[in-house]
Amino acid sequence: MPRVQLRYYALLREQAGRTAETVDSRARTPGELYAELAARHGFRLAQAQVRVAVNSAFADWDRALADGDEVVFIPPVAGG
Amino acid sequence: MSGFSFTQAAIDPGALAAGMAAPAAGGFAAFEGRVRDHNEGRRVTGLEYEAFEALALDEGARIVAEAKRRHGVIDARCVHRLGALAIGDVAVWVGVAARHRAEAFAACREIIDEIKHRLPIWKKEHYEGGDSGWVNCERCAGHGQGRDPVHGDAESFDYSRQVALPEVGEAGQRRLRQATVAVIGAGGLGCAVLSSLAGAGVGTLVVVDHDVVEPSNLHRQPLYARSDAGRPKAAAAAARLADYNPSIRVLPRAERFAAGNADAIAAGCDVLVDCSDNFATKFLVNDAAQRARRPAVLASVHQYEGQLQVVRADAGGSCLRCQWPEATRDGLVGNCEQAGVIGPVPAVLGQLQAMETLKLLLGLPGQLQDEVLLVDLLDCSQRRIRAPRDPRCAGACARIGGADAAREPGALEVALPLVEAAARGFRIIDIREPEECAFAPLPVAGQQAVPMARFLGGAIELDAEGRYLLVCAHGVRSRALAEWLRSQGRDNVWSLSGGLERNGAGS
Repeated sequence: MPRVQLRYYALLREQAGRTAETVDSRARTPGELYAELAARHGFRLAQAQVRVAVNSAFADWDRALADGDEVVFIPPVAGG
Repeated sequence: MSGFSFTQAAIDPGALAAGMAAPAAGGFAAFEGRVRDHNEGRRVTGLEYEAFEALALDEGARIVAEAKRRHGVIDARCVHRLGALAIGDVAVWVGVAARHRAEAFAACREIIDEIKHRLPIWKKEHYEGGDSGWVNCERCAGHGQGRDPVHGDAESFDYSRQVALPEVGEAGQRRLRQATVAVIGAGGLGCAVLSSLAGAGVGTLVVVDHDVVEPSNLHRQPLYARSDAGRPKAAAAAARLADYNPSIRVLPRAERFAAGNADAIAAGCDVLVDCSDNFATKFLVNDAAQRARRPAVLASVHQYEGQLQVVRADAGGSCLRCQWPEATRDGLVGNCEQAGVIGPVPAVLGQLQAMETLKLLLGLPGQLQDEVLLVDLLDCSQRRIRAPRDPRCAGACARIGGADAAREPGALEVALPLVEAAARGFRIIDIREPEECAFAPLPVAGQQAVPMARFLGGAIELDAEGRYLLVCAHGVRSRALAEWLRSQGRDNVWSLSGGLERNGAGS
């Protein structure tokens, strides 16, 4: 079961109630991982409104996750 | 008829003014530039003007036309003298006829400033004692030692500590003075960007903001004073910056950055800096930058965090549309009003934008490109996320002109009291979050409550025949959602204009 480092920003940080966490997950892709976390933390943003970065690069939702990956979920923000 | 001309004969201000009589003109402002008897400590006995006429005529006409359009005046003309002139002769004349004095003065001032700044005109001064020298009136022509005769007294602002940086130097300072930067939005980010770029000596700053100063802005927008409340931000910022550094030029544009002016603003500047507070504007800035092939420096903040991105449209870099999905819409995430904001966050992000702008203008190393910088000021962390250009974008960005390109107001909104809208058969959907609904229930019966994200997640099916009216607190989220649903082919959805705040009360 891959273990991934997670980091949340903005709205997702608020809804998760934390900045970062480490999780063991059966998710094979960032998309599956987001669905799992959305259910756990009650994320209100649909996946289509969020971007994911894996190991400091924007990534596709269906790429493969590997043990030790660092996954960052980034909602768009617009305040000025 | 062109508003600009040259003449070899003496200028007759009275005749020129008489030729501009207009019944609707309640104000007429004129400026006469005259030959003075001294310059830089030397006595001048006379001078000669010479112009690169073909170029100067076009540019002069453009300057007058721009000022007419920008200030909405009835008529504006400028005549410049060429040839030999004596002390006291009128060298240049500007006349503006307008409905009111304010725009007459403003347009007149702008025309003479721009003429002095942009026109390729040279003057040869004859000094007491018989010698003479050529002086270029055009900007950046090395008039004296870095003096710029156009923008007030450049020597009154001391750039020595900045010039001392080896990467800046006199040449870099000159590049800054020649540069034009357009700042879109003069709020928390914009105040930081504007004050830093003004201090750095960026020659021309264009301030685009349609809003007025509100007391709730002041804690994070230190360009404004309490007495500015109610004043257009563009004008208040320009006045403050002119006071701070009179050697630069600040052009206020108290208008919304929109499809109608975006391309002209982008084409007229070297760098666009997006300090707006909504996605619609950010995508407009991004797209205008792409079309004009200008770099754009974009930032956004949310509570204690910020994001910074430099879009190198001039260098084939990735853009906002490579990073953010089509479903990115206003109302998804809170703005400063809803989410709250503390001053240092926009200030820090704005300073980062100013620094990236200066790096671009000066050609400094380490520029952010094809990356998004995430800044968290609670845990003092920064993270650079690589954001490569979408490979599907071959030449220009493939997505410009999509659903986001032109988001002008259309028949998307219903401006009726909610109760009346319900009486007219609209099926009301409350898209607010559950806690908002509980706090302030809708004043109508039979509505559905469906939080916005459930729509965007594709979980909601609407009947094809019903007419749906989406409702939120201020009408921002509901409008964005209605727009998105329309883009998905749903033409039976509307948004309650102004939300509950404006149209929620009974009837």
